[in-house]
Amino acid sequence: MDTGFTRRQIIGGSARLGLALAVGVPLLQACGDDSKSSSGKVTESIKDGLKPEAGPLRVFDYDSYINPDVISSFEDKYGVKVEVTTFTSDDEAISKLASGAVDVDLHHSAATNSLFKLVDSGLIMPLNKTYLTNIGNVAAPLRDPYYDKGGTYTVPYTIFGTGIGFRADRVDPAGVNWETLWNPAYKGSASVLDDYREGLSMAMLRKGLTDVNTTDPAVIKKAGEDLSELTNLMNIKVEIEGYHTIPEGATTVAHTWSGDMLTALQYLPEGTTSDVLGYWQPEPAVINNDCMCVMTKAKNPVLAHLFIDHLIDKDNALTNFTFVGYQPAIEGIDSQYLIDQNLVPENLRTSVMTNDQIAQGYRFLQLSTDVEALWQDAWSKFTAGG
Amino acid sequence: MANAAGAAPGGHRNAFWGFLSLPGVAWLAALFVVPFYAVAAVAFGKIDPILRTADPVWNPAQWDFSAMNRVIDRVLDPNDLGKTFLRTFAYVGGALALCCLIGYPVAYFVARHAGPKRGLFLALLVLPFWISYLMRMLAWVNLLQPDGYVNRIIGWLHLPGEHNWLNGDWPAVVLGLTYGYIPFFILPLYAALERLDKRLIEAGRDLGASPSRVFRHVTLPLSVPGLLAASVITVLPMFGDYYTNGFLTSGSPRTEMIGNQIEFYLRGTSQPQTGASLVLILSAMLLVLMAYYLVVTVRAQRAVAT
Repeated sequence: MDTGFTRRQIIGGSARLGLALAVGVPLLQACGDDSKSSSGKVTESIKDGLKPEAGPLRVFDYDSYINPDVISSFEDKYGVKVEVTTFTSDDEAISKLASGAVDVDLHHSAATNSLFKLVDSGLIMPLNKTYLTNIGNVAAPLRDPYYDKGGTYTVPYTIFGTGIGFRADRVDPAGVNWETLWNPAYKGSASVLDDYREGLSMAMLRKGLTDVNTTDPAVIKKAGEDLSELTNLMNIKVEIEGYHTIPEGATTVAHTWSGDMLTALQYLPEGTTSDVLGYWQPEPAVINNDCMCVMTKAKNPVLAHLFIDHLIDKDNALTNFTFVGYQPAIEGIDSQYLIDQNLVPENLRTSVMTNDQIAQGYRFLQLSTDVEALWQDAWSKFTAGG
Repeated sequence: MANAAGAAPGGHRNAFWGFLSLPGVAWLAALFVVPFYAVAAVAFGKIDPILRTADPVWNPAQWDFSAMNRVIDRVLDPNDLGKTFLRTFAYVGGALALCCLIGYPVAYFVARHAGPKRGLFLALLVLPFWISYLMRMLAWVNLLQPDGYVNRIIGWLHLPGEHNWLNGDWPAVVLGLTYGYIPFFILPLYAALERLDKRLIEAGRDLGASPSRVFRHVTLPLSVPGLLAASVITVLPMFGDYYTNGFLTSGSPRTEMIGNQIEFYLRGTSQPQTGASLVLILSAMLLVLMAYYLVVTVRAQRAVAT
């Protein structure tokens, strides 16, 4: 048991990410066109052909979300130091960046829902892709993402879906679906992700409602009530710890991110094989990804670009995957490739998202403030035991 | 002239003592009044339209009370935040009761009967402060988890009661709160008991009262101010606790405390006004407890004076 925010809890934060852009898409598209935010803050990309700065490169990131070996190889390559400042949630990151409490060059793990805020407040700059020689490695469905048309401001980092992680030695894999979380046979050993968008949308998907960005108060309220059933029926836990509680055996079924089950491989107790792990997600599933972006006030913008480029090098991405556990957004690093490399067992093939799943997945969009409050209050009522 | 001459030195003395209070006043202003006002400015303020972070309104004439009104409605709803408040009060009350049951005898023993080893016992009481609260809670997680030492010992001894202690049950939270905060209870209580006038106790014994009767009619009433002070010091942080239940019940909604809701709204949502309003409501409730403590303390001082 650890207390600190590990690379899974990262994703806890980054899953707070959820909410992307119904409102924000048009704004981002506008920004993508001329690099001018709706608030009028113009940001410009750096010029071509600049030399890397002396550093140190200051990276803002979740704890343990980059393999130290990958950082070291960048330091060796460019003869600079990399300093990582950490945050624990996307909201905290935005708050610190906006207030100037942290002064960094690269925001390594922006949530797609945050981009609207980062762009519109002029905090991040458009990327100069002449420095991104590996940009062609990015997974095809994310080269022109809905949240950042043309990839103007961001390069995707990791991809993950949302489903159910389970103990295959206790649950029949063929019978796993959302109802499994409501099955009293697993009372006391089931959990729901501690993320209001993920939790409520899961309750909606269970009922066949696929609008995971609904603005209907009745639907939102009903989803909250359905979750509240779990409190006593299942003695449900609300957490983001499935990546270690499932392999350790404390949890039998958990609402999890796909990457959690890949990370779970690192937490298997001695003598326990990976066969005990399983993952299911609906088709289509909720899909998310984290993004890398360069700060407008970066003192080392060239280095920041080069660091992004370093991370999307295929070999580095693979090295990174062995530490981070989440699937890199790199074309060709798919389930078959990872299985062939003995990095993912066959029974967890479903934990690696295919391009079709990425392209067709449900995405959380940015909600209006009023609707967002409905979602948050419904979640609050559930977690309050109401 | 005599009066004036006599008043002057007293006036200087008052000014001197007043001057000495300035650092304390400045400390309170900087670290209590200003932050508290900032919380109010957030609770009755606005939201940044882009970043959706708090946009405090400092001018009370411009305060918007709509968020507070919504929160009050939810707090009054027994199926919503009302349940969380009641649960929080129940947990804190239970933990305080355990602190009294465990802490009073310990404080009494150290204050009255530890003799020359008093220093050693005091050091042992302070020892938990050397380890961070989170580390101590984590230690309990390791002890209480299904394959932890508590269940192993139960198994080795072939005793009934092997149990998943971390499965979202209230006793784990109450015990966790008690364990975490009991040093805060014992130390001020020890200080109060140690200062008890022994002559009063001896007088009771000389008048023929049994030891238990002396305790009930002399020692216990005299230690009420100390008990109240220890209780106040203990329960105030307990009410705001949001990590003990998180550690010991894995985030079960059945053990959610009001601190968890405050954290959720302040750190994880675009409604910081709701979180700040909850802080104000909780503070108002605690203010009632504080007022009771002050009234009792003042009465006790007057009783001693007369």
